[in-house]
Amino acid sequence: MSTEAIAVEKPKRNYNALFGLTLLALLVLLWVILSLATTSFASANNISNLLRQGSMIAILAVGQTFVIITGGIDLSVGAVVGFTTVIAAMLINAGLPVFLAILITLLVGVAIGLFHGFGIVKMGLPPFIITLATLTSLRGIGLLMTNGNSISINNDAFQEFSRNSFVGVPNLFWMVILVGIPAYVFLHHSRWGRYLFSVGSNAEASRLSGVNVQRTIYMAYTLSGLCAAFVGVLLASRIGIGNPTQAEGWELQAIASSVIGGTSLFGAVGSVHGPLLGAFILATINNGANLLNVNAFWQRIITGLLIIVIVYFDGLRRRGK
Amino acid sequence: MTSTAQELHPAPTLEPGRTILELNGLEKRYPGTHALKPVQLAFKAGEIHAIVGENGAGKSTLIKLLTGVMPRTSGEVVWEGKPAALATPHEAMALGINAVHQEVVLCRHLTVAANMFLGEEESRFGLLQQRAMVKEAQKIIDGLGFDLPAHVVLGDLTIGQQQLIAAARATVRGTKFLIFDEPTAYLTRKEADQLFKLIRRLKGEGVTIIYISHRMEEVFELADRVSVLRDGTLVGTRNIAETNDAELVKMMINRSIEQIYHKEHFTPGAMIVETKNLSGKGFENVSMTVRAGEIVGLYGLIGAGRSEFVTTLYGRHRKSAGQILWEGKEVQVNSEHDAIRLGMALAPESRRDQGLCLNLPVGMNLNLPIYKRISSNLLISGAKEKAEADRQIAGLRIKTPTRNALASSLSGGNQQKIVIGKWLAHGAKLFIFDEPTVGVDVGTKAEIYRLFSALLSKGAGIILISSYLPEVYELADTLHVFRRGKLVATHGFRTADHEEILTQALAEKQEKQGGQT
Repeated sequence: MSTEAIAVEKPKRNYNALFGLTLLALLVLLWVILSLATTSFASANNISNLLRQGSMIAILAVGQTFVIITGGIDLSVGAVVGFTTVIAAMLINAGLPVFLAILITLLVGVAIGLFHGFGIVKMGLPPFIITLATLTSLRGIGLLMTNGNSISINNDAFQEFSRNSFVGVPNLFWMVILVGIPAYVFLHHSRWGRYLFSVGSNAEASRLSGVNVQRTIYMAYTLSGLCAAFVGVLLASRIGIGNPTQAEGWELQAIASSVIGGTSLFGAVGSVHGPLLGAFILATINNGANLLNVNAFWQRIITGLLIIVIVYFDGLRRRGK
Repeated sequence: MTSTAQELHPAPTLEPGRTILELNGLEKRYPGTHALKPVQLAFKAGEIHAIVGENGAGKSTLIKLLTGVMPRTSGEVVWEGKPAALATPHEAMALGINAVHQEVVLCRHLTVAANMFLGEEESRFGLLQQRAMVKEAQKIIDGLGFDLPAHVVLGDLTIGQQQLIAAARATVRGTKFLIFDEPTAYLTRKEADQLFKLIRRLKGEGVTIIYISHRMEEVFELADRVSVLRDGTLVGTRNIAETNDAELVKMMINRSIEQIYHKEHFTPGAMIVETKNLSGKGFENVSMTVRAGEIVGLYGLIGAGRSEFVTTLYGRHRKSAGQILWEGKEVQVNSEHDAIRLGMALAPESRRDQGLCLNLPVGMNLNLPIYKRISSNLLISGAKEKAEADRQIAGLRIKTPTRNALASSLSGGNQQKIVIGKWLAHGAKLFIFDEPTVGVDVGTKAEIYRLFSALLSKGAGIILISSYLPEVYELADTLHVFRRGKLVATHGFRTADHEEILTQALAEKQEKQGGQT
């Protein structure tokens, strides 16, 4: 009824791009303020550090966004990261070539995503439930596999990767670009991307239009699992250990980044650049708060407030007020 | 809101026969649709006033205005001599105006008693008096003569029983004016009788009743007066003693038919699809054929099994028996995907739930079935995507600022054009249109009908489902009548008259004699 009562209104042209620019402006503004307020923020060292901090959440947020666009949620990503650090560490310590170890680790992520798809499509479980179940049980499986210990990775080359830079930019940030560009093309320029949106908007209408809804849902969770496993590899490289309790709460940071980046938890609204910017805005706030000697507890409060403010204004704009 | 339950009998203040509610030029416009043209009507206290009309005649709009669900565009509502704004449902309820809807709008997971007192719970020291409420509710239900327990969860009752509870609920709220919107659609004859008893009893207590129904026999059984709506216009009001079935039907459907229904006859070509004794959930033993160049109309009441039949044909639901032949060969249609691959296209019944991705752009909605075709390998051709969308928007004259506007921002008629239009580029052979013109204004209707001719001329076949008799009557080359899941009659183009077809779809008399429960 309400839709029929709305008059034909002006188009919201390039809303996505506009919102992205607003986020970018916010990020730049934060950087300018922090550069002026602190002596150490603008140093090359700190910027590299900031990029490293934000990179892993950014990649998680991209995978998470695919899922949220379909109207779902993936609570397992933090646990998958922790679990896959263990897998990667074990495989590398077992003497497998690094590339093979990485490949198998990524396949583990794919398998976890397929399992989520199975639970949702075939068992009819709500996404929240099946991924919550994986969240807790993956930590448990990881702890069983390691007896609760950390596994030190005895491969220096593997660990150096995450510390090194390429043309002055940290390798970890290059990984964001490596994931971001294909993800952007996939979401905005392939029909699979279109189907993610259409399923999130109206699964029944999509099905009647010939869209394979089940396959689309499998795909979203598989990509999220893949992104999480990839981050697991990066984290293993960064901290040099495999430990299933790592990345505690990262799923919430990924969701927060996605939401700050303009993704709607009701589905069918989202982009790739938004969550990326969202992740780095969060990283900047944490980094800046550290430099300004703000109590670490405040960082969590600020993050919460930021989510409310951004989503509120985004909602206002969407309603066309 | 009081914390104690309302008295069962509200004791209306007006003596019977006086005007309780008067509509002065009440009017409602949506963008692109004039849903209710200025209505002049007075309801007398204590009468049962039936309102009849076809789908889209403006009955639901009228109810929504009276119950404060939607604001009116212009006009005045006078309640007990004073103008009433009726801006919110709350205001309408405070005045004593309540409605019992066709679909039960109650909390299925709560008990019957909890539903009866929802929003007006009895409590002592902040604690709910659950046992007292169940007792009280049971007293009310027994008092109404319903044989239903008050302590069970509402969802455990049948839809018909839930409907009775909804009616009972409305009577405990100080109601002076009660609207029933097709309350018997899902009721068995026995349940309907109980409901009629309740309605008569309320009338005896001075409550004014509006009774909306498709079923003529109910109107004649219950009502004192009857008003007829057609295309948003109040055609007339009659005392029930001074009118008859034929007059009302004529008032309901009389119109300048030729202006709207654009019918071209094509020589039927090859067989496109044939069903042999197809059965499934909600229908059984349906055999029919569709040939190239013909429109096959399916007429019947809502719930007669037509939609279930076509969605099964389309692979959305599994058939339980029978065969589907596509161009002469037996096929298995196990999914929508199979159906689309064969060359079927379905424009479903509900735009909102099945037809559109409302919060996505118009262009994406139009292209959804053809993304495979406009992609090369993995990537979508942006140029083709734009060109296809713009071509459809121009060809169908969809009123939208750009292809990037959200589908939700368009009027109902333009949304419907998207639902239909998205299949045109797909190149299907069999088009299934399920209620394609519900909530669509006359101008858009005419455009949609012209589109049918264009499709037929290209050798497509059409299955047209409609609950609006003139539509199928004027357009269908073959007209099948459905009743309670069965195909009960078949006619050619205009070979039967309206009354005959209506009777076949309703078959009130036979059902009544059958005394079904």
